[in-house]
Formats: sequence, C-alpha cells, structure tokens
Amino acid sequence: MKPDKHGIYAKIRPVLKKLIFPGCVLVIYGIAVVLNPARAFTAFSSSTGILLGLMFPLGLVFTLMVFMNLFLKPAHIAKFIGKESGARGAMLSVGAGIISMGPIYAWYPLLKELRNKGAANPLIAVFLGNRAVKPFLLPIMISYFGWVYVLLLTLFTITGSLVTGYLVGALVEK
Amino acid sequence: MKIAIPANSPGLEARVEQRFGLSAYLVIVNPQTMSVEAVPSPGTPGQRGAGIQTVVLAISKEVDVVLTGFCSPTAMKYLADNGIDVVTGVNGTVAEAVAQYQKQVHSTPMRNKNNPEITGVSLMDGLKRSGRQIGNLLPILVGVVLLLGLFNTFISKELLLSIFSGNMLPDILWGTGFGSILAGNPINSYVIGGELLRYGVNLFAVTAFITAWVTIGLVQLPAEIAALGKKFALIRNTLSIFLCIAISILTVFTYNAIMRGVQ
Repeated sequence: MKPDKHGIYAKIRPVLKKLIFPGCVLVIYGIAVVLNPARAFTAFSSSTGILLGLMFPLGLVFTLMVFMNLFLKPAHIAKFIGKESGARGAMLSVGAGIISMGPIYAWYPLLKELRNKGAANPLIAVFLGNRAVKPFLLPIMISYFGWVYVLLLTLFTITGSLVTGYLVGALVEK
Repeated sequence: MKIAIPANSPGLEARVEQRFGLSAYLVIVNPQTMSVEAVPSPGTPGQRGAGIQTVVLAISKEVDVVLTGFCSPTAMKYLADNGIDVVTGVNGTVAEAVAQYQKQVHSTPMRNKNNPEITGVSLMDGLKRSGRQIGNLLPILVGVVLLLGLFNTFISKELLLSIFSGNMLPDILWGTGFGSILAGNPINSYVIGGELLRYGVNLFAVTAFITAWVTIGLVQLPAEIAALGKKFALIRNTLSIFLCIAISILTVFTYNAIMRGVQ
C-alpha cells in the first residue's frame, strides 16, 4: 500500500491553470515595456508598493488560517447547518458560513446532501450569505478600510443574510 | 475510528473494488470492534456524479480513512479537505485490507479528528494546509496587484470617473455588476476595492463591489443550480442583488454618520 501518485501532467495542470492570469498580466507588461518603458516601470513600482503593503496583513491571515485549519473541517461545520430550526438554527448557519473556508465549489456537494437530509432552504441561503464574512481575511480588509467600516459591513452582511434567508424560504417554498 | 472500503458486496469477505465511487457498496469497518456497516453506493456506477456522491456518503458517515484501489484526484481532494486519509493500491478482501492497514499504522499514533490536539503532527498538517491555501491564492493575488499597477498608471482618473460618476445609485449598480461577474477569493475584492477607493471611486460603489463578489455568483450559477436547484439559485442570487444595494447604502450612511460624530 502506498499513497496515490498521479501523473506529472495531472500535477502540473492545476499549477499551470493558476499561472494563466498572472502570465497574461506579465505579457501585458511586456507590451507596455516595448511601447512605453518609463510608464511600465512606474506601473511595476506601483504594484510593488501595493504588494509590500499587503505583507503584514497576509502574515496575520496565514496565522489565522493555521488556527482554523487545526480546529475546523468542512464536515464538522456543515453539521451545524439544518441541525436545528428557528432562531438558533439560523445563528448556527450564520456561524457555519462565517467560519467556512475554501472555494464554494467544494461546498455544493455537502449542501446538496444536507438539503436531501432535510436542511431548510433559508438556512442554506443564510450559510451562503455569510460566506462574505471572513474573519481570517479581516486584517487585509481593515488595512484598506479601517475597523469601523469593516465592523459595520460585517454586521449589515449578517443581518442581510438573515433577511435573504427568510425571503428565499418564503419564495422557494411558494 | 472508521475505515471505508469500496466493495463488490456487503461484509468482511467482499472483494475491494478498484475504483472509489464505482463500487456496489461502501463497507465501513470499525477496526477496534470489527463491526461492519455496508451502505449501497448512492450513485449509479459509471454515471456522472457517482464519485462525488460516494465522497459525500463517506463524509456524512464520519469515516477517518478510505482504502481503495484507485481514487480520482478530485475525490481525493474533497476527502482530504474533510480530514479523511486515502490509501490507494489496496486489493484483496475487506478484512485483509483492514488487517494490512492496521499493521502499517500500528506504530503511528492516531489522531482523533473530532478532538484535534495541537500535536507536532497536526500542527504540521495545519501549517502545510495553510501554506497550500496561501500558495493557491498568491498567483491570482500577485496578478491582480500587477494589473492594478498598470491600471493606476495607464487608466486615467477621468475615464474611471466617467463610469463611477459619484451618483450613489448608478455607482452602486456598477459596483454590484462588476462584483457579480468577477469571482475568486474575497481577498482580491478587498485589494481592488481599496485601490478603487484611493482612485476616487466612492465608498458606495466599492461596498457594493466587495459584497457582490461573494454573495452573487454569476460564474458559479450553473454549479449552484446543479447542486441546489434552479429556483433556489435564481431566487437567492436575485435577492442578493437587492441585498448588495441595501448593504452598501446602510453601511456607508452609518459609517459617514459615525465619522462625522467622531470629528
């Protein structure tokens, strides 16, 4: 028995896919260097400044990610959705949405399964709405917008998700 | 501890199937008690989605390990994301596979995934996983930052302000529109939104943009429809457009009122 080994192509393909976008931007830089080297250099300096400004918040993001990865797994989070109904159920879905991580594609199969097991539509909508609130990304957001704005946006997003959840429930089950 | 094995029939003497997701049964064994639960595979073997349905079954049964002949990279990723180890290259009967697995891990301390402790091993796992997550978002983030540099240098403020004219409602609608089309890690929306703000675009538009980035998913709409149904997906995304408008108005008005009070 040994851990699965994929082919080299299967390993390289996702990496190449991720490099398409930055690669295209570098091609645009190449064209800019040919057409207007001085402004291309200014553009690169501007990007370097933005990137340097992101270093400290990114470090905090990494630290928060480590803690969340140590204690939370998608299956554990998903268990909260639809476990209870009413206000408590909604709050559990809010919490699950906030602490969920990773691309939404990874969550669709679990959400489908949960709904098949009886999780209500409003709670799934509340969960999806609260994916906009990401505690581990707050350092980046605060560095751009300040904590007062971030706090307000978070509170209104959570409230808005509950309203959306209620309306989704009312309209889907009509 | 629970071990899941794709097999051709229920019971310990069943043969291990070579492909996870294409078996008749998923046999779940508790190696301490050797108790067996055999669950018929949820999907039709060979049909699209059969693999992912078996993944969901394994997750919902809270298994710790999957032993199989072969597992697709996609299924393996979903399983790993949920803390389930996958061992491939397994053959023989279910009982033999379990015995061989136990022999292999006998000297390795096991982790209880429901009560993870910060041991050297799990901390290393957490660091590795976080490193992978940051590594996954970095190429796009660097691309976005490089593009913003070009944007700052080559796009005139006048051009941008001809779209975002400073009128609240049209600006919110533009912000919502751009945020709905673009997708990916929200970190990119914060960086783009922050730079747009520095460029003179108003906070209403930026708020609508970063809210729409996550709550409205035009790109993901087919996947959401496939998983949760057309009616649910269309109603939720339509309501989210109104939600973005309301959130940006409420957030910015309240923020401005607080800031005026502070001054």
